[in-house]
Amino acid sequence: MAMNLEDITPEQRKELEQNVFFITLERLKAWARSNSLWPLTFGLACCAIEMMGTGSAHYDLDRFGSFFRPSPRQSDVMIVSGTVTKKMAPVLRRLYDQMPEPKYVIAMGSCATAGGPYVRSYAVVKGVDQIVPVDVYIPGCPPNPAALIYGIHKLQEKIRYEAKTGKRVILNDN
Amino acid sequence: MKGLAKGLTYTLKNMTREKATYHYPEEPLPLPDRFRGIQKFYPEKCIVCNQCVNICPTDCITLTGKKHPDPERKGRIIETYNINFEICILCDLCTEVCPTEAIVMTNNFELAEYSRDEFFKDLQWLDENDTNIRKEN
Repeated sequence: MAMNLEDITPEQRKELEQNVFFITLERLKAWARSNSLWPLTFGLACCAIEMMGTGSAHYDLDRFGSFFRPSPRQSDVMIVSGTVTKKMAPVLRRLYDQMPEPKYVIAMGSCATAGGPYVRSYAVVKGVDQIVPVDVYIPGCPPNPAALIYGIHKLQEKIRYEAKTGKRVILNDN
Repeated sequence: MKGLAKGLTYTLKNMTREKATYHYPEEPLPLPDRFRGIQKFYPEKCIVCNQCVNICPTDCITLTGKKHPDPERKGRIIETYNINFEICILCDLCTEVCPTEAIVMTNNFELAEYSRDEFFKDLQWLDENDTNIRKEN
């Protein structure tokens, strides 16, 4: 791969000297991070059954480098699977704060996304994004294990994309 | 010694057994006939009877209709049809009550998004969602 170094303007050269190496390093870091997303076992309701199903033989989440950890200090991603009640919300926030950086959150199921069937309840948090920043939302009640695998792949894509471009994952309307 | 041989026979037998794991992201997942993915909507079939709105347990469907543009014909046609997929629990009741089968289920389950706004599915989206439509509705 030959590069024509004469055509580069001094400004461009300055840019190159600053960034190229670090962008590659970021991408390497993102590749490593995205292929070892260790989820925190955060099952709260029936979605947790599907999450367990994803971890076991038929769907086998270990194929993607994801191993369920029982401790927030060892995990990278919190899969909030189930209804978050208002009593549970401070605990969820504390566990999120205890996770080491970088940390990601997947809201699995209708309840974690927006309250789901309990959207009119006085005791349920209407979406886990009110407590912690959420990266990927998976709809469904509950989403089947393959949908969770798709969501995890979507998060991996996001990590790689953000490292590659330095931009946030763009939304369609802005 | 006999016990060890017995155990090893079982182990070796299982080693050659077919793997239980689905190769999901590489190959599409085999889905059952009555799987519930996301809805597909046929605007031309809809008669604006509002039954799906009434039966929806989480009130995630909203629709508006207008009079048929042809004055000789009775009835109404659909103008807007929205499903708030954030709170849709895929109970399948809307497809069950629909008298004209204007709303049917598909097998599409790959619906994860980066933003909650994406889950607001409008008439156009639901009309274009025409892959993997479930066989019996």
